[in-house]
Amino acid sequence: MGIAEVIVEGAPGKRVLLMGNEAIARGAIEAGVGVTASYPGTPASEIMETLALAAPKLGFHAEWSTNEKVAFEVAAGAAITGIRALTSMKNAGLNWVMDMFMTLVYGGVRGGFVIAVADDPDAHYSSNEQDTRFVAFYGEIPCLEPADQQEAKDMTRYAFELSEQLELPVMIRSATRLSHASGDVELGKIQKLDRKPVFDKHWKMPYRWNVYGPPGPVEKHRWLHSRLPIAKKAVEKLPWNKLELKGRPKLGIIASGLGASYARDAARRLGLEGKIAFLKVGAPTPLPERLVSRLLKVVKTAFIVEEGDPLVEFQVKALAKDINPKVKIVGKLTAALPPVGEINTDIVADTLAKLAGVRARRDKARELARAEVSKLVAPRSSTLCAGCQHLGSYWALKQALRKLGGRVPIVNGDIGCYEQGGYGIFSKATKPSFSAESVHYHIDSPYETLDTNYIMGGGVGLMQGEFHAGYKDGAIVAVAGDSTFFHACIPAVINAVYNKAKGVFLVMDNSWTAMTGHQPDPGTGVTATGEPAKILCIEDIARACGVEFVKVVDPFDLKATQAALEEALKFDGFAVVIARRACTLQVQRQKKFVGKRIVVNPEKCTSCKLCVSLGCPAITFKDKKGGIDLILCNGCGMCVQVCPTGALSIGE
Amino acid sequence: MSEMKEVNLIIVGVGGQGSVLASHLVAMAAIKDGLHAKVGETFGAAMRGGAVASHVRLGKEVHSPLISKDGADIVLSLEPLEGLRNSVKYLREGGLLLTNTRAWSPTDVNIGLAEYPDMKTIERAVKKLDGRTIIVDATSLAQQAGNVRAMNVVMLGVLAGTGKLPMSIESLKQVIRENVPRGTEEVNLRAFELGLKAVQQR
Repeated sequence: MGIAEVIVEGAPGKRVLLMGNEAIARGAIEAGVGVTASYPGTPASEIMETLALAAPKLGFHAEWSTNEKVAFEVAAGAAITGIRALTSMKNAGLNWVMDMFMTLVYGGVRGGFVIAVADDPDAHYSSNEQDTRFVAFYGEIPCLEPADQQEAKDMTRYAFELSEQLELPVMIRSATRLSHASGDVELGKIQKLDRKPVFDKHWKMPYRWNVYGPPGPVEKHRWLHSRLPIAKKAVEKLPWNKLELKGRPKLGIIASGLGASYARDAARRLGLEGKIAFLKVGAPTPLPERLVSRLLKVVKTAFIVEEGDPLVEFQVKALAKDINPKVKIVGKLTAALPPVGEINTDIVADTLAKLAGVRARRDKARELARAEVSKLVAPRSSTLCAGCQHLGSYWALKQALRKLGGRVPIVNGDIGCYEQGGYGIFSKATKPSFSAESVHYHIDSPYETLDTNYIMGGGVGLMQGEFHAGYKDGAIVAVAGDSTFFHACIPAVINAVYNKAKGVFLVMDNSWTAMTGHQPDPGTGVTATGEPAKILCIEDIARACGVEFVKVVDPFDLKATQAALEEALKFDGFAVVIARRACTLQVQRQKKFVGKRIVVNPEKCTSCKLCVSLGCPAITFKDKKGGIDLILCNGCGMCVQVCPTGALSIGE
Repeated sequence: MSEMKEVNLIIVGVGGQGSVLASHLVAMAAIKDGLHAKVGETFGAAMRGGAVASHVRLGKEVHSPLISKDGADIVLSLEPLEGLRNSVKYLREGGLLLTNTRAWSPTDVNIGLAEYPDMKTIERAVKKLDGRTIIVDATSLAQQAGNVRAMNVVMLGVLAGTGKLPMSIESLKQVIRENVPRGTEEVNLRAFELGLKAVQQR
């Protein structure tokens, strides 16, 4: 039985294994959600993937939107008409939404509106470690933070009720270790809400859905503020805020979300269960202040355990000033827990042992053995896949830049599989440079290509600033993928044309949002639920934006791709080159591509290592000879084009 | 069936080998037998060829999705280097590394930037950590069962054959039957039996 069947199954009381993201989706389904919208982003993508599997069967709307802001607006629009709606995104996705988010809360919603955000402490899949619970605090909406998959489902379901009670969006904050972990979940009943969408522009407040309509933004802010006491009252009663307090223990833990799971395991390991006070927090904002106060009145030390930044800790400190100023509060602010990276049971147990005055286990001899053995473990660096078309694009770009002359190009990167073009895995150890002049660094492989990289669509904007600054020491290039082009690049392309920036924008179009697990985008030809959709062509959009140089090439054809890039680099204006070929993995899965067999002739190999510098994981180099790992190779033939001596050739 | 009240195991491999499915099958079988289960997953950015590790925690009370340092009773490894990588981090004293023999060489090794440790080196390293290693050519057994892709299920058979799982072999077999792709049930159950026998014959 696959997840598609499990997720729509009635069966209340049945216990199944669900991933955190699947549990959030199931919670929304149980709440009778009507409209759901998202943009892919690890570790949040499976929320929408799961909803999209269920949507056709249960008759609600599920879509991959072009970006998170649009997704948020699609969901908010439904909620304004009284329909329950959910939008999901990764941490960085919420940044795209901020403008609409901070304004929507002034009028709130009519139907339950849940914003499910998956943070990524330790930046496993992200460019930063931001703690988005602060956004809920900032926007004055409640945030619920599940500790496990069961809570993820139950809290999401409840969040719709709370949202309707407060007439405000409610945030569910997940994190990688919850979203991408699975646990046993007891299913609940799937509600069928037969709601008709309605619209009343003066619902309970004049011009409710128009922030400028009288009484205007300040009065609407006052209304938002009036929600807080109601929210505070509601969270005190939540079953996910739970205080365990027996007698008058000296030490207490206040732990939120996943932090509570780590703290519980740590307390159990140290034999402290029942000997310390334990407040498990399910709502980091607004905090259940009465429960916190009860704990603060008793203990001498309160240990705050939370994943991310010290949101609970700040609030507990503020509360302690009134309740019990003598209580010592330790956590991330006192460096009792590391301020960056993620926490885990070991880290929490180390601090807890110190605070409780019990001995943590430490075995020096074992640590030494471990250090010695770990030297034997070869790294497994992340690379692009064997036969990935981005390898061809990067190879051609490197050659075209070299042909232009040995100056210092700037290649501005972007987020997607091709971001690995900046991972530097083949390069020798790098040191900081303090040069006053531009410095040329050799590109050994695709993995040394990207010079800047921040966010989706960032590169094509940065390149324009580099141009207007008058940078003349080398070519100015930006790269982005197809999904990113639709998500974040179009205004920047228009800006380049309008404000007369010059440079080359290479769009690496593989027709899928590949890195997050192959979700469709507007260039794919299918919707989230698998219906056929109109294919939008990037070249048409670029031309419509006024770009005068637009070329489409096949990145498997290295010569043609290089030629197009050389021409683009010489073009006196803003040039767009689209390297298009469907993602190799996806094509393999659909069994459409039958590759050629690559034949190796070691006699002809001169050990020049050009094949290695293509960066394909199927290329080997042993005993000073290039070779092919035939299990990995899919016969794209790019290495044959790279090999100058014919040692690699295409077989029969 | 083990009397242990909690079992912590890490299932590791390389993207594409089926370690995530294997970890879910173990957890589902435990849930079927009334236990609680948590599976914490870590995988790299690459879709194929990246290091993948699933932390599987089974018992009457489990909270954290991650196993602590020195906390793994078993590392079940579909690829030897990944088995070593995770044993070094997580295997407890007296713990068990169960590993397939077939190496999936990383790019770093392929291009001569690093060396791949051979099976003897891995065994010695695990011994140094006071662990034990059981080596099975699961890839060949999967071929024998009828499909090389059933290697992950051969390794599940190996795992079950150690007798250290807190649930019944029958439940695990039933979960395999219900959750592998349609049409591959028989191949996978054959693969499971071959793995089971490979350990029991030792």
